[in-house]
Amino acid sequence: MNANRAHDEVERETGHGTDLWRVIAAPIVWALHFLFCYIYGAIYCEKLGRDAPLDDARIAIIIATVFALALIALSTVHLWRVRGRSLTDNDFEFEHNTPEERHRFLSHVALMLCVLSAVAVIYVAIPMLYLVNCR
Amino acid sequence: MIYKSAEERQLAKVWEPPKGWRYFSDVNNSTIGVWYISTAFAFMLFGGALALLIRLQLAVPENTLLSANLYNQVFTLHGTVMMFLFAVPIFEAVAILILPAMLGARDLPFPRLSSFGYWCFLIGGVFVCGSIFFDSAPDAGWFMYPPLSTEQSGIGADIWLLGLSFIEVASIAAAVELIVGVLKCRAPGMHINLTPLYGWYVLIVGAMILFAFPPLIAGDYLFELERAFDWPFFDVSRGGDPLLWQHLFWIFGHPEVYIIFLPAIALLAMIVPTFTQRPIAGYSWIVLSALGTGFLSFGLWVHHMFTTGLPAISLGFFSAASEAVAIPTGIQIFVFIATVMMGNVVRSVPMLFCLGALATFIVGGLTGVMIAVAPFDFQVHDTHFIVAHLHYTLIGGMLFPVMAGVQYYYPFVTAKVLSWRLGIWSFWLMFGGFNIGFLPMHFTGMLGMPRRVFTYDADRGWDLLNMVSTIGAFIFAAGFLVMVWDCVRPKGRDKDATRNVWNAGTLEWAGRVPADNWGMRSIPQINSRYPLWDDKTLLETIDQGRGLLPSAEEGKRETLVTSVLDAKPLQILRVAGPSWLPMISAFGLGAVFIFATWKLWWLTLAGGIVFLVAVLWWLWTGTAVIPEKPTKDVGDGRQMPLYVAGVRSTGWWAMFITMTGDLTAYLSLLFGYFFFWTVHEEFPPAHIEGPGWQWPAVAALLTLLTWALTLGARLINARGRPGLAQVLLALGLVAAAASGLALMAGPWTNGLDPTEHTYPAIVWALVVWIVLHLAAGMIMQAYCIARSRFRKLTPEHDADLWNVTLYWHFTGFCGLLTALVIGGFPLVQ
Amino acid sequence: MLLASSAVLLAACNGEQSMLHPAGEQAEGLATLFWVMAAAGVVIWCVVMGAAIYAVLGKKRPRSERFADRFIFFGGVAFPTVTLAALLVFGLALLPNWAGGDEPDMRVHVTGEQFWWRFAYKGPSGERIETANELHLPVGANVEFVLDSTDVIHSFWIPALGGKMDLIPGRTNVLRLKPTKAGVYRGVCAEFCGPSHAFMAFPAIVHPVADFQSWLEAEALPANPAGSEAFIAAGCGGCHTVRGVSEAGSVGPDLTHLARRRTLAAGTMPMTRQALEDWIAAPSHIKPGARMPDFAALDDEQRDAIVQFLLGLQ
Repeated sequence: MNANRAHDEVERETGHGTDLWRVIAAPIVWALHFLFCYIYGAIYCEKLGRDAPLDDARIAIIIATVFALALIALSTVHLWRVRGRSLTDNDFEFEHNTPEERHRFLSHVALMLCVLSAVAVIYVAIPMLYLVNCR
Repeated sequence: MIYKSAEERQLAKVWEPPKGWRYFSDVNNSTIGVWYISTAFAFMLFGGALALLIRLQLAVPENTLLSANLYNQVFTLHGTVMMFLFAVPIFEAVAILILPAMLGARDLPFPRLSSFGYWCFLIGGVFVCGSIFFDSAPDAGWFMYPPLSTEQSGIGADIWLLGLSFIEVASIAAAVELIVGVLKCRAPGMHINLTPLYGWYVLIVGAMILFAFPPLIAGDYLFELERAFDWPFFDVSRGGDPLLWQHLFWIFGHPEVYIIFLPAIALLAMIVPTFTQRPIAGYSWIVLSALGTGFLSFGLWVHHMFTTGLPAISLGFFSAASEAVAIPTGIQIFVFIATVMMGNVVRSVPMLFCLGALATFIVGGLTGVMIAVAPFDFQVHDTHFIVAHLHYTLIGGMLFPVMAGVQYYYPFVTAKVLSWRLGIWSFWLMFGGFNIGFLPMHFTGMLGMPRRVFTYDADRGWDLLNMVSTIGAFIFAAGFLVMVWDCVRPKGRDKDATRNVWNAGTLEWAGRVPADNWGMRSIPQINSRYPLWDDKTLLETIDQGRGLLPSAEEGKRETLVTSVLDAKPLQILRVAGPSWLPMISAFGLGAVFIFATWKLWWLTLAGGIVFLVAVLWWLWTGTAVIPEKPTKDVGDGRQMPLYVAGVRSTGWWAMFITMTGDLTAYLSLLFGYFFFWTVHEEFPPAHIEGPGWQWPAVAALLTLLTWALTLGARLINARGRPGLAQVLLALGLVAAAASGLALMAGPWTNGLDPTEHTYPAIVWALVVWIVLHLAAGMIMQAYCIARSRFRKLTPEHDADLWNVTLYWHFTGFCGLLTALVIGGFPLVQ
Repeated sequence: MLLASSAVLLAACNGEQSMLHPAGEQAEGLATLFWVMAAAGVVIWCVVMGAAIYAVLGKKRPRSERFADRFIFFGGVAFPTVTLAALLVFGLALLPNWAGGDEPDMRVHVTGEQFWWRFAYKGPSGERIETANELHLPVGANVEFVLDSTDVIHSFWIPALGGKMDLIPGRTNVLRLKPTKAGVYRGVCAEFCGPSHAFMAFPAIVHPVADFQSWLEAEALPANPAGSEAFIAAGCGGCHTVRGVSEAGSVGPDLTHLARRRTLAAGTMPMTRQALEDWIAAPSHIKPGARMPDFAALDDEQRDAIVQFLLGLQ
């Protein structure tokens, strides 16, 4: 295996540029989505009164949800290469003291946080299935 | 202890704790940590005694042991003490004590800040607790809902507000210290993925504190403005709204639960691998779930407000997030169980506490999932069901893990092992007593008993359950006392524990027994998560001084600063030694808060001056000291700088972190402004004159100017023109003063009366906040001018100027935003 | 065992103020939800703790780390995600969700005061009928409570009928309840509101529809003015309204039909002559922080006359 291919291999496996900010990107998307939904909903209901139908709000929140999920999906693209890795199985591999292993670790955590954030975003959208007005 | 080599003697001399009465000027993390933990436990015993009073009062129906008035003080203080004086400080205390050793540092980067935080905590705590002996304790519940607390409470409400604001300062100080510690003070080679899990938790919790505590500080600020000066933020007759307080309080209050819970779970993450003799099964899982919990915990606060009549849509969002947070929380539990399954369990008292914690916490978690369903919460909210739930989460998620931690780390601190027999006794008494006490409370609640009632009718049918709860509470207390006795009993005849007594894998156990004040003899290269297990030569390397920083030739306390992700050595940080200044500063600041409670403004001012002088003196003599030589051999031939300025320095990070918290507090105030906009039909109200747009525009320009001048001063200074930089700073100082005056001129010239309505009040509150920050910024500019004139700040050594510029980035931004909002928002309406 | 012991507890208990003895539509749904969640919770607890104890005591150690991986994934991620989503969907379905056009059968205006309840009904001819500290409802009616407060935050809660809702100064909240079983229940203030928070309760009586109508008609009538002189002379009318006698006061509870109520001082004491005497002499001894001043200075004769008058307010 020539040096170049070995480098590609490592990069495919571990990626680069995954730092702490990247790790928390997906939860930040969740937080922004959550805040948007809450603030939008609160102002909408406060200003239009308790009997206001939620139709417009529903559309806004569904758009926001799709957008948030798209952002999270986008950030998984860069991390997806580590998907096949078991999370406990290769724990010891992570202990190799190299920056590549650190990348791989951070990518793993980032990927799992993407999944968790996506679940949380979907959870937050669930109430919109029911509610018809601001009560 | 006899030190063999000359190097060891040097280290011993440099790190020696002060003797005699000067002992109290110590700032070393080993000393401060022990004080902090002891104090927190002392407050805990006090809070526990209050709890027993509550249980005695409720043991039988129609009891007359406590009057309603005293009962209200007791339960308010019980909640307050346990939350603010035990649960949060114990995290800071434990982290200060064990974190440096775990990361391979000699001390935390800002020892004097730890000391300052400790003294703030002690003074504030004694002040708040002492009030009950004068029948003037807060009596409106630990959540202090207005208008009960603003309009009907006595001095107790002020004691609560000011005392706790003061303690929050300590928490934020600890957060700064610990975040920088974890990010920058790890041993070389300890990549972020090799950091002990405890470090991860501390990092996450520190960050949470920065976003959770400031909203409460903002709330306290508004609250005290109403209490002391009648600015009507929560008074509905003048446009206020009590719900604003509830939002600010719970934006703090819910993340706080996780701020308490995560560091305790972090102890389990250290203990479980040790007693299963294998690495944790799922390090990444734990990091994921800690991070996930940290984020999600900020989306839960309204679940404390489900019954306040918010629209169903809001309830839905918060219900959803409250369910979602159970997922990462559950993951941690499964990781622990998986680790135990795959390891060889060593049966021990800490492990027993871990199991007890698990059994208890899961109950709390399951009831938590139940009450996260908003309609169900409509029923059980404010009943004893919630009392049971929250105690299951806090005792299971925090107290039992901390007890496990005390058992586990006792030899680390004192070199003695706690008694096995007493440990087993205390565990079963506590575990049994707790469950006897709190399991029935679920039923008491379901049968309709509300919280915070000082008595109940005999014919309600709650007497048996309550009696059982009371008996359980006393058994629980007995177990706790057994533990306390075990900790404090004289152990002179016990043999010292062996080195690494539990055969643990992490670095904090590499120390000798009894522990040295400076941590490790030398700082080794780290290559795995459990270096003591994986590297058999590690202890030898450390002891023979073959690691880094093996000596202290210059007679200065030093620790290593490394890079954030890969822990490459960057700098040798000179850390401060013993000093009275942090204590004096804390007393000064304490005087400000305490005298303000009684509106003794002259004494308040005097306290403020003491504080200011002490802090300036402390900074002047102890920070950004220009070293005698630019670099030093780190121990393996590499030269490391002794002075670093800018983004790579710890001081810059500390400023950045502090100001992030400060920004959060400011944004919470701004939230208040827009909150009033949402709840009022018309905001700003038509009949009240606003501050106009002209003066705010002037203020905005001046703020920009002073901001630019400060930044310019730093750049010019770096180009080797300190004289010109001083001129720019002086101009900046003038511009800042003018900016503050212009900002005040808006509401002043338009005659805004803050007591008239909440609109002028919130405008003034924002203005005062910014003016105070401008004033602090001016002091900093003046400080830099003085440092520059005295050659303590030079073109090569400009850390102060970097940090002050950073301060101005934040303050400039907030000032601009304020001018924009108070001047511009009324125009858009 | 747990079920058995809870059954014993339930049997032993007085169900007036219990969530586990539901008598309203919402409370029934939530009690069922509680039992389902509690049972599921017990099962989950047993399984997880079983796994933990097995892990500690068990002899056989799984070799493969794949096992741990799957254990964490299925136990910690997959199962909770699905279960919690289901709980969220079913739980939130119980959120009261009435559309704008869905008018309630009746409205009761509730005001929280330290430390009592002001209730106002719409009378047979549309007039406002004020009463205090005792709630009467017709069975089967969809009742909307309009909630506000004049001083501090209170919370209106009748456990047997359904969830609670806060009464917040400056805000008006609404709550709907639908009683399904006639009977006498008990409501309380659930949000801490000061020294006598524990003494802020009320009987909630659910009548068959016809009985409710006759109660309401009787309540709408003015009081019997016979013997009111002492009451007026002592200044009681400054705070209390007795319709037909003195209608100026509105600070304290309306006393028009006081003697028909079951309890005195917001659910604190049964309505007896002795209780009335004690109360008038020193309200703050019975309810700390009560707003009513002590009338200990009244001589026996005056007090007897007032009590006599009050007991006549049928």
